[in-house]
Amino acid sequence: MKEEILKGLQKSLRDYDSEGCIAWAKKANQEGVDPLQAIDALTEIIQEVGDGFSRGELFLPDLIAAGATMAGAMAELTAALKQKGLERKSLGKVVIGTVFGDIHSIGKDMVSTLLTASGFTVHDLGIDVKAERFIEAIKQDRPDILAMSALLTTTAKEQKVVIEALKKEGLRNQVKVIVGGGAIDQSFATGIGADGYASTAPEAVNLVKSLIGR
Amino acid sequence: MAMKGFIRKFKPLEILSEEQFQAIHKATLDVLQNVGIRIEHKRALKLLESHDCQVDYGNMRAKFPPGLVEESLQKCPSSFRVKARDPQKDLIMGGNTIYFGPAPGKQTVNLDTWEPREATRKEAYDGLTILDALPNVHFLPSYTPYFGFEGLPPVMRIPEICAAKIRNSTKWFFEGYSNDCEIFIIQMAQAMGIDIMCSMLASPPLTFYGEAVECAFRMAEAGMAGRVLPGGICGATAPVTIAGSTVTANAEILAGIVLLQLMRPGMRIEVKDFTYPQNMRTGSPAFGNIGVSLHGVVFSQIWRRYGIPAGMTTAYPSSKIPDFQCGYEKAIIALIAALSGINLQLVQGAIHGELTHHPVQAIIDDDLVGMIGRFLEGVEVSDETIALDLIAQVGPIPGEYLSKEHTRKWWRKEQFIPQVADTLTYPEWMKKGKKSCLGYAKEKMEEILAKHKPTPLTGSQERDLEKILEDARVFYKDKGML
Repeated sequence: MKEEILKGLQKSLRDYDSEGCIAWAKKANQEGVDPLQAIDALTEIIQEVGDGFSRGELFLPDLIAAGATMAGAMAELTAALKQKGLERKSLGKVVIGTVFGDIHSIGKDMVSTLLTASGFTVHDLGIDVKAERFIEAIKQDRPDILAMSALLTTTAKEQKVVIEALKKEGLRNQVKVIVGGGAIDQSFATGIGADGYASTAPEAVNLVKSLIGR
Repeated sequence: MAMKGFIRKFKPLEILSEEQFQAIHKATLDVLQNVGIRIEHKRALKLLESHDCQVDYGNMRAKFPPGLVEESLQKCPSSFRVKARDPQKDLIMGGNTIYFGPAPGKQTVNLDTWEPREATRKEAYDGLTILDALPNVHFLPSYTPYFGFEGLPPVMRIPEICAAKIRNSTKWFFEGYSNDCEIFIIQMAQAMGIDIMCSMLASPPLTFYGEAVECAFRMAEAGMAGRVLPGGICGATAPVTIAGSTVTANAEILAGIVLLQLMRPGMRIEVKDFTYPQNMRTGSPAFGNIGVSLHGVVFSQIWRRYGIPAGMTTAYPSSKIPDFQCGYEKAIIALIAALSGINLQLVQGAIHGELTHHPVQAIIDDDLVGMIGRFLEGVEVSDETIALDLIAQVGPIPGEYLSKEHTRKWWRKEQFIPQVADTLTYPEWMKKGKKSCLGYAKEKMEEILAKHKPTPLTGSQERDLEKILEDARVFYKDKGML
């Protein structure tokens, strides 16, 4: 039964079948499958997708679909994990989101998926995220990294607003801040006091690894 | 008199069958009537509601009855003149004429490393001098040559670039809008006695932001021409298929046309395709992709049928240097556009997408455009060109044509003579340092900058322009944006 469930999870993720993947995750919880094992099974596939993307064999539609498919199942499995008081082994925790006023998700989703694929625990706050919401998540999750995205020149400055809010809350030294998006470059990132900038999703993964020394 | 442009002397390339055309047209009207367009502008929604559109103010969505759409198309002139600073450079848009313009870029490039960097004010003005001099640049589009230059605050980029175009060229141009800057663009046009056209840009899918609609109201009220364009990325903000993304792009444009014709019946409107396939690795527009041409040819066919002057998606290459890839991407896109019967096409100067532009590239591309233009003029067939008498007179060997007056009279008309292409023999090429078109273009740029002086503004025109720029600075200071 357990084998069938793990295979079902993997197949539905490979087929980008969101509903199927959530159904298998629910079944895993009902049948008492170790959520850590179920998450590992999904991570194996998301790593395949991430590797395929890096090799140029898979493309954005694959990465976005895999990320979205995994997210639904992960919500189920993480809930079970919490209930059991377990924690997932990971390379580090990342809180990620597109800043307030900006609804562009693709770049942020790419980074989120590739980080997950690389073994990080990612809390994706979505798009149009206000500074208060970032602060709340940092207090709650205590992540190693805060990653912010902005596509528009008009919303890029919001990244600075968040960094200033971190300072005000006395949290700035507890988290490394990285920024990216169409409107951002290294000099902007340095100017607002971020710890790092990456221009592509695979670069962002390397940046996160180097910042937390993995 | 008007700018000559190129006249296509043969049937345009059409790739849709009648059945396919009808299917796309019907689906477009269906989207307008049943899905509707989100228009984030209350005055526009009220105007549409008073003309039988079904409006949902909560979702800011308007649904368009097909009759209103067809009626609005009828009101658009199929051909019209736009006034340039030099009346000989007015454009007459529509029909079989195609005009070429440069493809602007956000930044310039370093000619040794090809890396992008911001242009200086002098480089922006020099870039315009080059474009003013190039014979196959017929007009100047928005943000040309660069989206701004060093030291300019963001809100002043469009007004300052617009002023630079007026100062350094007498060619006709159109402009962008942002943060109400069209107020000052219109004032500049009125002070110079020229026609301006600001783009009414859709924000796909199926949306117009309030800023675009506000600009359209201002243009209509000032009696200027209108320009509607979608900006879809196939697979992201538009369907991934050519047919589907044509339907959404045309629905967006038609909604814009209905609005403009309600604002000012009979308004001169040009439509432009600005749809790119998506680069499925980076999420950026897939510049240089053949999908641009497929979408463009379909667009051209449909809008010719609708009877409205149209421009095709810019011939932006994906390459970063003027290499083989840059050449074939531009040549294929520009040539297919010209063959499709489009009326406006942007080509000269782009290095990579809309990110970089350089005058040296514009000079090389001007030859490409000249070649295409010559092709469009087709083949003249007359007694004189058939030259039966001459053929009889010359006869077989040892007869020859080089010494004949017929050759002297006709060869320049029959051929196109490039300005900077390498056309030397091997011995000459080796003796002259094995230069390529790039080397010749760099020399040509220096030559143009030394010799060409754009017609200056009069003292009072310059004072008017500077006053409008100062008013814009005060406007943005008062708003806390400067």
